[in-house]
Amino acid sequence: MARMMYREAVLSTIAEEMERDENVVVLGEDVVGGNGTAGGPEAIGGIWSTSTGLYGKFGADRVIDTPISESAIMGAAAGLALTGKRPVAELMFADFIGVSLDQIWNQLAKFRYMFGGKTKCPAVIRMAWGAGYNAAAQHSQAVHHILTGMPGLKVVMPSTPADVKGLLRTAIRDDDPVIFLEHKALYGVKGEVPDDKDFMIPFGHARLTRAGNDVTIVSTGLLLGFCEAVADKLAAEGIGCDVIDPRTTSPLDEEAILDSVEVTGRLVVVDETNPRCSLAGDICALVAEKAFASLKAPPLSVTPPHTPVPFARELETAYLPSIPKIEAAVRKVLSYR
Amino acid sequence: MADIRPFCMPKWGIEMTEGTIAEWMVKEGQTFSRGQVICLIETDKITNEVEAEYDAVLKRVLVPASDQPQPVGALLGVFTDAAATDAEVDAFIAAFKPAETGVAAKAASADAAPAAAAEPAPAAAAPEPKKIVTNRAISPEALKLAEANGVDIEPIAGSGRGGRITYQDVVQAMRPERAFEPQGPADLPTETRAVFASPLAARVAAQYGIDLSTLKGTGPRGRISKADVLGAVKPAVPEAAPAPAFGAPFVAVANTPAVQPFDKVRKVVARRLTEAKQTIPHFYLRVSARVDELVALRKTANVVMGTKASINDYLVKAVGMALVRHPNVNVQVAADAVHSFPHADVAIAVASPKGLVTPIVRQADRMHIAQIAATTRALIDKAQAGRLSFEDMDGGTFSISNLGMFGIEEFDAIINPPQGAILAVGGINRVAVETADGDIAFESQIKLSLSVDHRAIDGAAGAGFLQTLKALIEAPESLFS
Repeated sequence: MARMMYREAVLSTIAEEMERDENVVVLGEDVVGGNGTAGGPEAIGGIWSTSTGLYGKFGADRVIDTPISESAIMGAAAGLALTGKRPVAELMFADFIGVSLDQIWNQLAKFRYMFGGKTKCPAVIRMAWGAGYNAAAQHSQAVHHILTGMPGLKVVMPSTPADVKGLLRTAIRDDDPVIFLEHKALYGVKGEVPDDKDFMIPFGHARLTRAGNDVTIVSTGLLLGFCEAVADKLAAEGIGCDVIDPRTTSPLDEEAILDSVEVTGRLVVVDETNPRCSLAGDICALVAEKAFASLKAPPLSVTPPHTPVPFARELETAYLPSIPKIEAAVRKVLSYR
Repeated sequence: MADIRPFCMPKWGIEMTEGTIAEWMVKEGQTFSRGQVICLIETDKITNEVEAEYDAVLKRVLVPASDQPQPVGALLGVFTDAAATDAEVDAFIAAFKPAETGVAAKAASADAAPAAAAEPAPAAAAPEPKKIVTNRAISPEALKLAEANGVDIEPIAGSGRGGRITYQDVVQAMRPERAFEPQGPADLPTETRAVFASPLAARVAAQYGIDLSTLKGTGPRGRISKADVLGAVKPAVPEAAPAPAFGAPFVAVANTPAVQPFDKVRKVVARRLTEAKQTIPHFYLRVSARVDELVALRKTANVVMGTKASINDYLVKAVGMALVRHPNVNVQVAADAVHSFPHADVAIAVASPKGLVTPIVRQADRMHIAQIAATTRALIDKAQAGRLSFEDMDGGTFSISNLGMFGIEEFDAIINPPQGAILAVGGINRVAVETADGDIAFESQIKLSLSVDHRAIDGAAGAGFLQTLKALIEAPESLFS
């Protein structure tokens, strides 16, 4: 076990996989950094430090700086994948899927289906997402609900360095397009990571991070930590929370959620997407449809309001689900009459 | 201002509508502390202790012990701190409205007259409709409901858009606060890197000490699910040491018990059986019945009807018919009344994986044998699968417990309240009997033992029922009349 940061887990996994398989190729804006400047490659840039040093190790053929055209990055990744490479493309901010959506939604996600299963498209698209960095409405969004709703894509959302390791490796070795969402606020979080260079976590397998018998809390990303804090506080009062991190939203580990609700009878879903047509709404509906008889209270969701992410620090804090808001929601389902 | 709090009839379980105070363990004016037993409350199912949730004084007792049953939510007494004056308490009682508008309020108008004679009225008057004038956002239906039931909407935090008070919010406000008993945190199962199991499966595995790596997953994507783990659970009995070899000196080995805490079903069974055996004055009536004709008839009748009715199904029919002829045995015993029924709802004791259960064959007297056979088959299948619902087991006017298939000759059963009697049925035995002409012949007999609640059923009534039952069994063609 090594202790490393979330961003280091991303970097080391990509490096290990590039070493293992020469077909793995990295591309994106500023992934080398410094190309064309006086200092030369890697002198500056690489804003998330998730590709630092790859250029020196694997060369210009396998670590490619692209023009500032997200559509071109995704199109190139799609082409690479169709011709036998395993591209790991980086979208600097998840918010930019808008301009590249045709490549992702109509091309990457559809190839296997439109060619009758005769081709595969093993591309990984990494993107940084999430609010809390005071980066305003166009650089702070949560987009996983949009991508989860697109058949043909697998959507992965690691919340710890170990999960990054296991899930990113599975994503790179997977033969289908995988969206790999990295929460900005977690890049600096440290954790234990297995050394095994074949350590993989299968998709569709949730992680239970706290166990308890009174309420089920489902969350992912930055907010998962908030939920764990609430669970720890309530545990001191004798109230037990099952905290479930689905880890992948497509496929979704329905069984883990339904099993847990069968025991607790109460559900709170905490998510960073806006409330309408969201992951929280999806999971509440799942439980209402398939575990209605187990429920002791209506499922509750804690999400930001139906507005863009605000810029002002105070407003952004008010916008995001917080520990007090999550705790209030949990207490509300517990006190349902 | 003194701290004054009402003490109302609690609601234990969904079907509880009223309860009776059996005894006040704290006297009026006495101080009590948290955890102390304040009183005993009886329902038609159980008698429970009410423990104090905080320190206070029992300032006023409004309903003395052994009084009439009180509806859920009715004011039973008043708790105060030491400073409260009588005037304050009187004012509190006069202003009191039961939280449970449903049960207590409906009963209040009926009870008001007798209660007023003995005590200052508990003032559980029906909620008065009142016009609500408010600036708060509230849906029209919610407002109508609140006005009709006199609900104070000010303390309600609206859950609708922009804090608007919804119909559901008002319904919630009308319901009594539910005591929430936390089940508490659980141990986090350690995630094994090599084996993938659902979190619940991992928890169940830890509970039973099962190594997940020994299991094969049948869940989604090859995962180990809860069912896989439960399938691997073996009953926990410590392995017995082998008997010592012949000639070897005897050495005592450890004889540690496998501790199996009562599960929920077991707890209820244990409590109800103890109460039944301790509180019901049982007496027992025994008789043997000749079943040669029944055994022979069953074979032919089953072929003719195309059914697989068991001897027990025929007994259920016979019992149903006998009960209808003896309505004084076809009874449920309430606290101070006997309810006798025109039709026989016969409960059959079934051993299920979860323990003893008693699903009910409704109106067994009105069914023919094939219908009874189909009904009991369905109930037994449900019991084995652990899927019996509350409705399958609620009520009943009589029970049959049959241990004949285990070779038991005869036994006595414990009455299953609120029923008045239970029949224990033994196995078929060949018995030598004297024939009419003084010779000896063999016949098949079963032994029946009737356990009777003497509070409701006298010896003669029970004996009359058994006599009818015996006659029906010995002349089984009458079961088809």
